[in-house]
Amino acid sequence: MPSSAGRGPASANPYVICAAAWAVPGAGHLWLGRYQKGLTLLVLLPLMFACGLWIEGRLFPFQITEPLVALAAVADVGIGLPYFLAKVAGVGAGRVVAITYEYGNTYVIVAGLLNMLAVLDVFDIAQGRK
Amino acid sequence: MTSHLGLLVLFSVFVSTAFAVLMRDEPKEQLRFGARLFGSFVASAIVLGWLLYALPL
Repeated sequence: MPSSAGRGPASANPYVICAAAWAVPGAGHLWLGRYQKGLTLLVLLPLMFACGLWIEGRLFPFQITEPLVALAAVADVGIGLPYFLAKVAGVGAGRVVAITYEYGNTYVIVAGLLNMLAVLDVFDIAQGRK
Repeated sequence: MTSHLGLLVLFSVFVSTAFAVLMRDEPKEQLRFGARLFGSFVASAIVLGWLLYALPL
């Protein structure tokens, strides 16, 4: 079986598949039978997110008064469940004086944004466009 | 790890792998595209780093 062979539109609701893809990185691709892509994203994106937290990155709060902080928070949430697990575990406080603080933030934010991109890819596949 | 270059290389690995997986379908194409993207990331970062080095601060 080809790893990413093109298939018709999904029988399930595309929005439900997208919600699953957001919550668990790679889940949408796995649902649609794109196993190679799904497994890669399932490992890669949470690992990138975890690396970001490990090197003292911060999970930004939703502060409407600070638009850039709020945007960073939106990007952080893009990773889905790992974000909430990190919140519950109490990690992601960040340490501003750490030499890797900005790198950590970049890792965490970009992991979320890449998962959002994966969700869009899942939507296209579910609609039969890819 | 606190090496700037190490963190840059690791970041490039993550991002180029994700892009390669999302934008190409065949494993061979993914590998080629990912490698090119990774090389571009690292090379452009090093070139930009040296250009910034010339700026007086």
